[in-house]
Amino acid sequence: MTVTTEPKIDPEGASRRIAELIAAGRARHYRARDRVSTATINTLLDVLGDRNPVYTDEAAAKQHGHDSVIAPATSLQVWTMNCLGEEATASPVDAAYDILRDCGFPSVVAVNSEQHYDRPIVPGDLISSTETVEELSELKQTGLGPGMFITTLFVFRDEEGDQVGTMRFRTLWYAAGQKKED
Amino acid sequence: MPTECEPGQTLPEMTIPVTATLVAGGAIATRDWSLVHHDTAAAEAAGTQDIFMNILTTNGLIGRFVTDWAGPQAELTDVSIRLGAPNFPGDTFSVTGTVSEFDEESASALIEVTGTNGIGTHASGHVRVALQGRKR
Repeated sequence: MTVTTEPKIDPEGASRRIAELIAAGRARHYRARDRVSTATINTLLDVLGDRNPVYTDEAAAKQHGHDSVIAPATSLQVWTMNCLGEEATASPVDAAYDILRDCGFPSVVAVNSEQHYDRPIVPGDLISSTETVEELSELKQTGLGPGMFITTLFVFRDEEGDQVGTMRFRTLWYAAGQKKED
Repeated sequence: MPTECEPGQTLPEMTIPVTATLVAGGAIATRDWSLVHHDTAAAEAAGTQDIFMNILTTNGLIGRFVTDWAGPQAELTDVSIRLGAPNFPGDTFSVTGTVSEFDEESASALIEVTGTNGIGTHASGHVRVALQGRKR
């Protein structure tokens, strides 16, 4: 016989505190250290095995309507990733994740990623990102245990402040081992 | 290279061996320094059997799957994926896709994609691609 203790989760507390955080409208702003370069693009292409000539061949890129070679669209997030050893700056998203841990949901799994591309990113671009908490779900009973889904929104911009793309990123924070048995 | 397509049309399958080089190299090439993507001991300490592919590499491979079919004139406008079973070294990642919508006016196609490995579905979702690029 297994005795399960009543889960110490506080979804109401998480909802209230994260709603306050969303209402405060704070964002994490991050500017890439380096401009988009062909070196970084080419290394990425080598790993992915991607041989699309618009990424490497100036003439092919121009033939297809671009001013220069372009980066793969799916590299949107690459340029503003933290550098190795760089301390992450304070972020309302991290604060929200801390609240979820605090409220009894210590385990996390990435659920989905939705990227939209407004224009191709090109060598020379200096990309910035703004990251905010967008939405927290109600408490859900999932296959992993009781949990809450949180969605964050990234907006990526160039040096002129024009938007180059967006990304919604959803994670599930859950209390492991509190699965309902049939 | 398709300039138009029809709902129900399938894309050529892409099969990729998942190697440690792809997993760790993909993480570093996408500038993702999370230990679980390149340090086996750290991945094991985190409770997984091995290092596993990061999301940015998965996105890159899904994008390649669609542009390999659509050709250099095409432009991706959206990639949305739901994540599932991890891609561990030694596995094989296979991606299939089917056209679910085609808008003749913008020559924009919606492709439903599914990426599976030996464990199950690694990633599934959709990609929107402007087959003749976007007017600027």
